[in-house]
Amino acid sequence: MSDALLEIEDYSGAFVGETGELTPVLHGVSYRLKTGMMTAVVGESGSGKSLVALSILGIQPPAFERSSGRMLFRGSDLLELDERAMQGIRGAEISMVFQDARAALNPVFTVGRQLADVWQLQHGGSRRAAMTQAIEALRRVSIPEPERRALQYPHQFSGGMAQRAMIAMASLICEPSLLILDEPTTGLDVTIQSDIMELIVELSRTRGLTTCLITHDLGVVAETCQEVVVMNAGRVVETGSAEAIFTRPSDGYTQRLLSASQLVEAA
Amino acid sequence: MLDQPLLQVRGLKKTFPIDGGRRLVAVDGVDLEIKAGETLALVGESGSGKSTVARCIVRLVEPTGGDVVIGGDSILGLQPSRLVGVYRRIQMVFQDPNASLNPRMSVRQVLEEPLHLHLYLLRSERDARVRELIEMVGLTPAHLDRYPHELSGGQRQRVGIARAIAVSPEIVILDEPTSSLDVSIRGQILDLLLELQERLHLAYLFITHDLQVVQHVAHRVAVMYLGGIVETGPTKELFADPRHPYTRALLSAAPVARWGVKRTRTRLSGEISSAIDPPDACRLAGRCPFARPSCSDARPPLTDIGGGRAVACPVVIERIPT
Repeated sequence: MSDALLEIEDYSGAFVGETGELTPVLHGVSYRLKTGMMTAVVGESGSGKSLVALSILGIQPPAFERSSGRMLFRGSDLLELDERAMQGIRGAEISMVFQDARAALNPVFTVGRQLADVWQLQHGGSRRAAMTQAIEALRRVSIPEPERRALQYPHQFSGGMAQRAMIAMASLICEPSLLILDEPTTGLDVTIQSDIMELIVELSRTRGLTTCLITHDLGVVAETCQEVVVMNAGRVVETGSAEAIFTRPSDGYTQRLLSASQLVEAA
Repeated sequence: MLDQPLLQVRGLKKTFPIDGGRRLVAVDGVDLEIKAGETLALVGESGSGKSTVARCIVRLVEPTGGDVVIGGDSILGLQPSRLVGVYRRIQMVFQDPNASLNPRMSVRQVLEEPLHLHLYLLRSERDARVRELIEMVGLTPAHLDRYPHELSGGQRQRVGIARAIAVSPEIVILDEPTSSLDVSIRGQILDLLLELQERLHLAYLFITHDLQVVQHVAHRVAVMYLGGIVETGPTKELFADPRHPYTRALLSAAPVARWGVKRTRTRLSGEISSAIDPPDACRLAGRCPFARPSCSDARPPLTDIGGGRAVACPVVIERIPT
């Protein structure tokens, strides 16, 4: 029995151009998300870190074509599941938080309704009970006046508040075993970013979630993650414990990324 | 005269009228000074008004009040036609080089434009200057005939910098010049800016929310919150010992990319309050862990505490042992 909730093995693929030519973008990507741990996948733009994450949920862009690989979730290959089976996984087993929460929420429905809809879809029950759950979830992620906020639309939320609502949906309403966060605090102010990361860590810990944090910000990683996967140009260049990656990076790219992230000398 | 600041901003104010006769106060009485060859970082979070300050200084937006003095000359009273002379002395680099470079102009055309506008050069002199500029920013003459979409983000920002220094200004305003770049590129652009500053004796007004960048490049820092400066001082001292509650919250919130670093956070409650018709009170009063009733009576002025530092918070000033 493996201690990994998700194992990605030799995942490769390319983008298909309009004329059918292939541009390879992922080259034998392999990493594991250990059960109950918070794993960071770090890299710069174009490294493929988000593309792999989207592939876990089967929502990669249509122009992407896989050439090899497996993604074993609880022992079964997600890439072999049909759309119907995948729908049973999305949300209920694996959920995702995106960078721009206001864009990820539906602008024409209230935030409370969107949370309640997802609750009903996953757990059934009455409309009223679902709305109660939605409000409680908003309260749990420290949104002030959740009863009033639940009746508002996404554009009435600040970026930080909308991200709290997304986290409420992905973790508390869906109750998944694996939570994937794709740059959840990029674009937010640093004081808000810190609050959101503390919330994510606290929720993961109390609910025993396995978490995958996709980010380019090594500062956030140092403070929150136990395991790190470093990607560059479609390849995994190094994996290890966060302590090992920060204190004894072995790969040249990891070393350069680390020193570029540490502009200021240690005090 | 030698110590005369190159750029002085006094009591700068900008309000935007919005619906219902209300006013959004974006900048509310900002004072700044920059000396030749110096870098002042203006830091703050979104909505603090730091970019509006930059745009007011070069009159891309017209200030509502206050004054901007460059090398002794006030520029706010000038007719727009007279601003051309000012723009030889002060130039700007923008955050998003995709948006600030005309996609239909080649790099050569981008760099020739300010030369046409400001200097009367012979064709051969202009060609030579353009080549010199492109090499100064670490690109090659081969890049001159490319268009912005053929360049990487870092290369585009280099072109934006070359355009800004084309007419040999004394001051360059840098509005989040590295915020849209990957960290490895960020370091290269900062190194270029430091090198150009030394070579050309440039003064920088560096607007950023990236506190690592501030520590790396700035001599002095001014911290903005909701339209006003709450603290200012030399970079090293301010980072070692932040005084204003907002500065403390800001600095203690920034994560550090090192193993085993533990931060003690100063926490603010809630989120940034509205800049629409704000009351005459400390803008942080509703969120501040040290607030007391008098904080809501009047907006505290920026007060000198010695060592080139100033803080707009009577509560923390009282606690400083004399």
